[in-house]
Amino acid sequence: MLQRSRRTWVLFLLPATAIYGTFILYPLVRGVLLSFTDNTGGPSSNFVGTEQYRKLFDDPQVVDALKHTVLYAAVVLVVQTGLGLLAASILARRPRVRRVVSNILLLPALISPVMASFIWSYLYRPDGGINAFLGDIGLGRLQQVWLGDPSIALFAVAAVNIWMFVGYSCVIFLAGYAGIPQDALDAAAIDGANGWQRFRGIEWPMLAPALTVNVTLSLIGTLGVFDFPFVLTGGGPMGSTSTLTMLIYRDIFTRTDFGQGAAAAVVLLVLVLVVSSAAGSLLRRRERAI
Amino acid sequence: MSSDMSTTRHPSVPPARVLGADVVVSGGDRPRIRRRTRRRLIEILLVVAALVYVGPFLFTLLASFRTAGDIAADPLGLPRHLTLDNYKTSVQEIHYFSSAWNAVLLTVFSCLAISVVGSMAAYPLARITSRLSTAMYRMFILGLTVPVFVIIGPLYLLIRDLHLLDSRFGLVVIYTALNLPVSVFFYTSFVRQIPAELEEAAAIDGCGPLRTFFTIIFPLMRPVTGTLLTFVSLQVWNNLVIPLVFLQDPGKSTVMANAYSFADPHTLQPTQLFPAALLGVLPLFVLFLIFQRQVVSGMTSGAVK
Repeated sequence: MLQRSRRTWVLFLLPATAIYGTFILYPLVRGVLLSFTDNTGGPSSNFVGTEQYRKLFDDPQVVDALKHTVLYAAVVLVVQTGLGLLAASILARRPRVRRVVSNILLLPALISPVMASFIWSYLYRPDGGINAFLGDIGLGRLQQVWLGDPSIALFAVAAVNIWMFVGYSCVIFLAGYAGIPQDALDAAAIDGANGWQRFRGIEWPMLAPALTVNVTLSLIGTLGVFDFPFVLTGGGPMGSTSTLTMLIYRDIFTRTDFGQGAAAAVVLLVLVLVVSSAAGSLLRRRERAI
Repeated sequence: MSSDMSTTRHPSVPPARVLGADVVVSGGDRPRIRRRTRRRLIEILLVVAALVYVGPFLFTLLASFRTAGDIAADPLGLPRHLTLDNYKTSVQEIHYFSSAWNAVLLTVFSCLAISVVGSMAAYPLARITSRLSTAMYRMFILGLTVPVFVIIGPLYLLIRDLHLLDSRFGLVVIYTALNLPVSVFFYTSFVRQIPAELEEAAAIDGCGPLRTFFTIIFPLMRPVTGTLLTFVSLQVWNNLVIPLVFLQDPGKSTVMANAYSFADPHTLQPTQLFPAALLGVLPLFVLFLIFQRQVVSGMTSGAVK
C-alpha cells in the first residue's frame, strides 16, 4: 500500500471537515447549548437550566405535535413499505413490464413535495377532484372536507407523502429481488412450494436488506417531515397536523424564540436517533439471524 | 423469470392472476396460448394501474391547459378549449425564469462543491485504516440521520453572524454541508473498490498526490458521481425550507420558495396553481427522460449492497 505523508491526508480531509464542522457539527452543539438558555436571537442570553424543556412538555400543543409526528411516521412507514413491497412482488415476476411500470410509479418521487402539495391541495378541496370523482362514481357519501376535518387531515397529508414515495420503496424492493438467486426459487418451485410459501421462506428473508433501507429512509424522512403539512395545511385545522418541525419553525422564525425552538429541536434529534437506531439494530439483527 | 414462473401463486397478486395459475398444466398448444394471452392481459392491466396511480399528475397536466370556467363546470372532464394563458400568468406570478435560473445556479455550484469536497475526503477515509479515520467516517455518516430542522435555528444565527443571509454563496455552502454525509458515504464505498496499485504507479512516475487524485482517481469515480449528483440535484432543486429561511430577496430565490410565497394553494384557481406545479417539475422531468437509468440508480443506490 502506498504511503502518503500525514500532511497529504490532512490536505484532502481539510475542506470537508471544515465545512461539515462549521455548518453541521457546530450548530448541532450550539443548538443543545441554546436549549438551556432564553435566547431570542440577540447577542446575549441567560442560562435558564431545563426551563425550556419544562415549558415544552407543559404545552399541550407540543405534546400533540409529538404524537402527530410519531403517528405520521408510523402510518407512512407501514402503508408505503407495504404497498412498495406489494408492487415489487408483482413486478418481480413480470420482467416485460417491470421497468416501465416501476418508472411510472417513480414519477411522483421526482415531483417536489411543494408541487405535490399544490396538486393535492386542489384534489382535496371540498369542490375539488376527489369529491367530484366520488360523486361521479356514486360514492357521494364518502365525500369529505379532507384537509378541514381534524380527525382525518393528518392521514390526508400522510397520503400525499405515501403517494409520492411508494414507487421509491418499490424500486428498492425490486433491487432486493434482483439479488435473489433464481435457482433458489426454482428449487423451491420444484419441491412444490406454493407462491406464499416461497414468499415467506425465500423472498421475505432475502429482502431483509431492502427492508432495512426502506424502513430507515422512511423513518428519517417522516420524522423530519415539514413541506407536506406546511404547504397543505399549515398545521391546521386546530393544530391537528402540526408536527415537531412545524413547531420548531414557528418558535424560531415567527416568534424568534431560539431557546424554545432549540429545545424542540433537541427533542426531535433524540426522537430520530432513538427510533432510527432502535429500528436499525432490530433490522440488522434480523438480517444476521437469516 | 420466464414462463415457468407462471405457476406461482403469489399472495399479493390480484385475483385475475390467481385464476391464471390454474391453467398451467403443460401439454397442448391451446393452454399455452391462453396462458400467454392471460399474461399479456395482466401486463397491460399493470401498466394501466400504474397510470391510474399517477392519475393526479396526469389530471394536473391536462387541467393546466384548460380554462377556469371549464374546470369549474366539470372538474374531471376532458379539455374542450386548450389554452396557454394559464402558463403565461404563472410564469409571471412566481417569477419563473429568474427563479429557475437561481435554482439552476444553486444546483450546479452545490453539485460541484459536494462532489469535489466529498470525494477528496473519502479518499483518505477509504485508504487509511486507523481509529481516527473510522471515527471521522462515523461522524460524517451521523449526518445522514439528522434532519435539517434539528440545526436550523443555530445555523440561522451562524449564517446571519457571517453576513451570509440573502446570499447565494451562503446557500451553496449550506447545501454542501448538508449533503457531505451522503457524498462521503457514496465515495468512500467506491474508493475502497479501486485498487491502490494505480496510485502507486502514478507516484512512481512522479505524480503528486493532488494530481494523482484529480487525474486518476476522480475520473474513475464517474459512475458514482453521476449517481450522487442526480440525488443531490433532486434535493437542491426541490428544497423549500433552505431558500425560504436563508434568502429574503425573491429575485435571488428558487422556484419552490417563490412558488410557495406567491401561489397560495388554498385560494388560487387550479388554472393558476397547476401550471406553477408543472413548471416546478419540468426541468427534472426533462432530465429524467434523458438520464432515466442514472436517476433510478441515483435514487435507489445503497439498497443493493
